[in-house]
Amino acid sequence: MPVRRLIPLFLAALSTFGQAASRLDLDSFEKVWTTVRDKHWQVKPGGLDWQAIHDEYRPRVEKASSHDEARAVIQEMIGRLGQSHFAIIPATVYSVLDDDGEGPGSSGIDARVLDGHAVVTSVDPGSPAEKQGVRPGWQIERAHGIDLNPLIKQARSNPAVHELQLTRAVMARLSGPIGGTLDAAFLDASGKTVNLSLGLTMPRGTLSAFGNLPAQYVWFDSRRIGQIDYVRFNLFLDLPRVMASFQYTVESCKTCDGLIIDLRGNPGGIGGMAMGMAGFLVDKPDQRLGTMYLRDSTLKFVVNPRANIFAGPVAVLVDGCSASTSEIFAGGLKDLGRARVFGSRTAAAALPSAFERLPNGDGFQYAVANYISEGGQPLEGLGVTPDVVVELTRAGLLAGHDAVVDAAMSWIRSQKKP
Amino acid sequence: MNRRVSILLLAVAGAGVTLVYGADPLPSAESILDRYVQVTGGKQAYEKRKTEIAHGTVDFPALGIKGSMTRYAAQPDKYYYSVEIAAIGKMETGVNGPVAWENSAILGPRVKRGVERAEAMREGNMNATVNWRKMYPKVENAGIEVIDGEECYKVIMTPDEGQPVIGYYQKKSGLQVKLSTVASTQMGDIPVEMIASEYKNFGGILEPAKVTQKAGPQEFTMTLDRVEVNPVIPPETFALPAEVRALVDKAAAK
Repeated sequence: MPVRRLIPLFLAALSTFGQAASRLDLDSFEKVWTTVRDKHWQVKPGGLDWQAIHDEYRPRVEKASSHDEARAVIQEMIGRLGQSHFAIIPATVYSVLDDDGEGPGSSGIDARVLDGHAVVTSVDPGSPAEKQGVRPGWQIERAHGIDLNPLIKQARSNPAVHELQLTRAVMARLSGPIGGTLDAAFLDASGKTVNLSLGLTMPRGTLSAFGNLPAQYVWFDSRRIGQIDYVRFNLFLDLPRVMASFQYTVESCKTCDGLIIDLRGNPGGIGGMAMGMAGFLVDKPDQRLGTMYLRDSTLKFVVNPRANIFAGPVAVLVDGCSASTSEIFAGGLKDLGRARVFGSRTAAAALPSAFERLPNGDGFQYAVANYISEGGQPLEGLGVTPDVVVELTRAGLLAGHDAVVDAAMSWIRSQKKP
Repeated sequence: MNRRVSILLLAVAGAGVTLVYGADPLPSAESILDRYVQVTGGKQAYEKRKTEIAHGTVDFPALGIKGSMTRYAAQPDKYYYSVEIAAIGKMETGVNGPVAWENSAILGPRVKRGVERAEAMREGNMNATVNWRKMYPKVENAGIEVIDGEECYKVIMTPDEGQPVIGYYQKKSGLQVKLSTVASTQMGDIPVEMIASEYKNFGGILEPAKVTQKAGPQEFTMTLDRVEVNPVIPPETFALPAEVRALVDKAAAK
């Protein structure tokens, strides 16, 4: 029996169908507790007496009168770890994601919370929002009859709510069933209220499945701005297509002045893709982005330099919605001195995690390792602090400027040798 | 004498090993490995096999990911192994002459070096089972361990370069049922444990049709469906992919 090895992959999985039987909830509780006991990178997970945690929470699950109550108890239990990437995902969430008639419909708007308000940061070309004149910088006041400002205010009053969660909550308010409409009220550049009924269509990108992870829409965008190549993609998924597109872009950039990789809003995906992409940018062998610490082994996130790499200036753009693999990539290249990072601090949620299906149909996300970037700092809880902190502003967006892209382009131009 | 010392040390260490120290002396590691060759088909059957193509599947059950695998081998040391998973793309590895390499959509191409290369070379030896003496200059029977209710000899095989490989061979059948080692990879040393089961006759040689492997946090199962014996394999099958060749050429040019 020869030794056969496959590259370790850090991935995901899940599925659906809810049931109310308490037996299934108890089995789910045991699966969650056992998984943390056996797979957490610390023998004493989170420094806790994990057996005592079991004894404290199991009776509460036994007494739970509903599926939702049991889930809340399990969620509370894993919340005691105080670490990201531990979550219970209700089965219904997966039903929604799997059912394109329920909620994935998009009007083509991307938004962020700026100065306490939801603001349009980009509009997909050809989307219903673009066709009806929605522009970056417009403030979103109301969606589906819900006033967003009080919601945002309430969420921001809770220090536990991060920018990533807040943005996701806002974006969820802007979505709906494909074929449906989004009735929304905006404040335009002149401060005038604009009421629009926007069609909701298939989200941008290609629906991509990865194991038990619910299928997600993945898009990849690249274009040349002057002599600078600009790349943006929404997830580190759809590996064959995204890696091939990235390779094509980098190889097309041989003579360009610089490369901008925009990871704003990118929540991560397959961790290994960070290493693979870095291989197109790093020429020196035996470099690594960071190190992952598991219970029984240590994995170095090494970079394999390609035969033909891009050697010019690289700018990586991030924001509070850049998480996990995005942080590994941005933080690692920054630590190696290979890229200059622009934007705002990342989500600080970089623990490698896996997803599994629970007996009651819920999903369970759990971290399997700790990750330290090459500079010696953990990304979890700290995130990546950009070399150049640049925040988007509504005024800038209304004037047609993306301040973060502008800063990156200005730096790349300054690197050009006479 | 040496064997008694090692048994004593194991007992003192209490390493979770069930030791049976009865009237029958332990057989030598050499005889256990030779017996494995015998029970799986015999030296002649192995040596008659000049080439093979193995087809099977890989399954990561916890992740819901499945794929296909194909393994080409030719005597004495040509080897090409490919796994294709729709969501990940192709992952391939091979040995051709002095070059051991790897290429994947996720990590890109690379040439293996050092201990990792030495391990790949051993894997690339088509008749490694018969040629264990060349692979492992030092072998030792470390005692008996019970695996799934069956007594197994625990044989430690130490190569010139790389970590020892521990094979567990059923006392009754002579078949290898478990193997553990620490694999040298570019990402670091990773503990690997493989459980072999469902031995089947593939063209005159018994091979485990099912191997469950745990490597670091990942567990997956490889299922061998069929083996083509002595097919004609075009030489280009083992040729370095263009991306790997480019790396070799680049290194040579420096």
